[in-house]
Amino acid sequence: MKILIIEDEKGLRESIEEYFMEAGNICETASNYAEAISKVNLYRYDCILLDITLPGGSGIEILKNLKENNYTDGVLIISAKNSLDDRLEGLDLGADDYLVKPFHLSELRARVSAIIRRKTFNGNNLLLFNEITIDLLAKTVKAHNQLIKLTRKEYALLLYFIANKGKVVSKNAIAEHLWGDGIDMANNFDFIYSHIKNLRKKMVEAGSNDYIQAAYGMGYKFTDE
Amino acid sequence: MKLLAKYNLVNLVTTIIVMLITGIIYYQAISLILTKQLDKDLAVEENEIFEYVGLNHQLPQVFESNDQQITFTEAKPGSITRQFINTVYRNKKEGEEHPKKRRHRHEDEYESGRGLISSITVGGAYYKIQIVESKVETEDLIQIIFAITAGVILLLLITLFVTNRLLLNRLWQPFYNLLKELRLFSLADSKDIPLISTTIDEFKELNQAIVSMSARVKSDYKDLKTFTENASHELLTPIAVINSKLDTLIQTDNFNPQQSKLLNDLYSAVSRLTRLNQSLLLLVKIENRLLEGSQLINLRESIQEMVTQFEEIFQDKELKITCELNDKELQASPYLVDILLNNLLSNAIRHNYKGGEINIKLTGEQLLIQNTGENSVLQQDQIFTRFHKSSSSEGSGLGLTISRQICENLNFTLNYTFERRYHTFIVKFNN
Repeated sequence: MKILIIEDEKGLRESIEEYFMEAGNICETASNYAEAISKVNLYRYDCILLDITLPGGSGIEILKNLKENNYTDGVLIISAKNSLDDRLEGLDLGADDYLVKPFHLSELRARVSAIIRRKTFNGNNLLLFNEITIDLLAKTVKAHNQLIKLTRKEYALLLYFIANKGKVVSKNAIAEHLWGDGIDMANNFDFIYSHIKNLRKKMVEAGSNDYIQAAYGMGYKFTDE
Repeated sequence: MKLLAKYNLVNLVTTIIVMLITGIIYYQAISLILTKQLDKDLAVEENEIFEYVGLNHQLPQVFESNDQQITFTEAKPGSITRQFINTVYRNKKEGEEHPKKRRHRHEDEYESGRGLISSITVGGAYYKIQIVESKVETEDLIQIIFAITAGVILLLLITLFVTNRLLLNRLWQPFYNLLKELRLFSLADSKDIPLISTTIDEFKELNQAIVSMSARVKSDYKDLKTFTENASHELLTPIAVINSKLDTLIQTDNFNPQQSKLLNDLYSAVSRLTRLNQSLLLLVKIENRLLEGSQLINLRESIQEMVTQFEEIFQDKELKITCELNDKELQASPYLVDILLNNLLSNAIRHNYKGGEINIKLTGEQLLIQNTGENSVLQQDQIFTRFHKSSSSEGSGLGLTISRQICENLNFTLNYTFERRYHTFIVKFNN
């Protein structure tokens, strides 16, 4: 996939770029309004990560420009502004999603994957990973054509893992993805372990390989390597 | 003591003192004038005697009339100097002819009088003349004057009292209006103190001073809030960078257990920092009422959804949840209601012990969230203040502050009680 990262904060831009950089992915970056607008008008991307506050202009203007030219690039707004109005304005203008800073890179990756999946839908609602087939519309998971019954959270967890395959995903990121803001009520994330264990058990019982690896007590890695 | 009462008291006391002094001066003056008048009468009488003696060369016949007594006594020649004296007038007759004056005359018939002592030589004999006139009439006059004065004092007092009551109450009305405005003054709301209509300069000045002061205070408060908001905002970017760098760091391979633990600690610290920062921003927004917008919410469904959402956490802590939910519909911002429920439920979980209980009761009037926990009462007035939290708490210390602010915005009341080992938070809907 081809991604454009429009973000003025160097540290964040580089981290995102690094996280998305892998075989088959092309990442381009823009650090200010002028650079962003010229890239947006020259090339097409699968997904544009758009910061709202940019030197030289507003990300909202870039979004408007995209829509005026009928470009269908996916747009994910990443903003420090967490107000309902900003969020609604962005989505009204045609952004596909809105992520508030600070965020976990794995969360960003999952959101971008979701956007790209939707963009390249084309009647194909199946997500494939080796022997695992996920029907995104029916929300069913099969391994070797055998149905695996997953709970809502287990399903979300699997999608999250697949979007971040090959990456170590921290327990914090998983917890925040599954339980949202309310997660701060838990003193530790040990209960995630039992969730992972259940998912793993169900997958293996259905004949799938065990792709989930624990990573140094910090998180988990979904990989087929 | 009210200003009015104090003012009236001072006013009355000074008025009485001044009136009394005036009365005394008045009395003295009248009495002096009347005595002079009497002296003149006495001199006329003396003159008449001199004329009579000059004509007839004998003393006139002594008779009494008009409260006047004349006596002639032989005296040593040259021993008498002419002078006016205050003396006693002895009324020899019963007072029948003067019934009016009876009350002044007691059994002894002595009255105060004014006398003139003079001398005359009749046919070689030297006589002392003593003419005494009663002062009763003078005193009557003075008494009338005194009565009138007293009457005037009384009348004045009553008028003062009444006018002060009516007039001052009306005069001070702008002041009371201002006071009312000041009592209603709130930093958070956008309502300014209005200019009141008054013609009195002092109140105008007071009003202007209050208006400008409140405007200044409000702008300072706004600055402070803007600062909080901006500071929190500015913090977001570096936190985002730290977060993303941590996410990137764990992608590099091979950490030993010590490094893993350090990274884990870093993660939880950053996540706490994030939440704290978000809570601060949220609080500013709620206080500024930036999160309005309302729609019909079924509170029972919202609660059920949230309980399901946290099922794993309940299980992890082995908490026993009892829900007793009736239907309750609210017109409110779903975002705010969500935060409120989340905060209250989070607290109930966070401050619970393993195997504890949580009871949620929803009726048309109130939402009650009870939890077991530390077996001691929390300080009702402290728990809602910013950054108040138990030392063991991992929370931001803003949860209850935010909850109370949300309740205020939605016109609910949030209270805490501790009953039979249950910490209870009650949201009253004030329908």
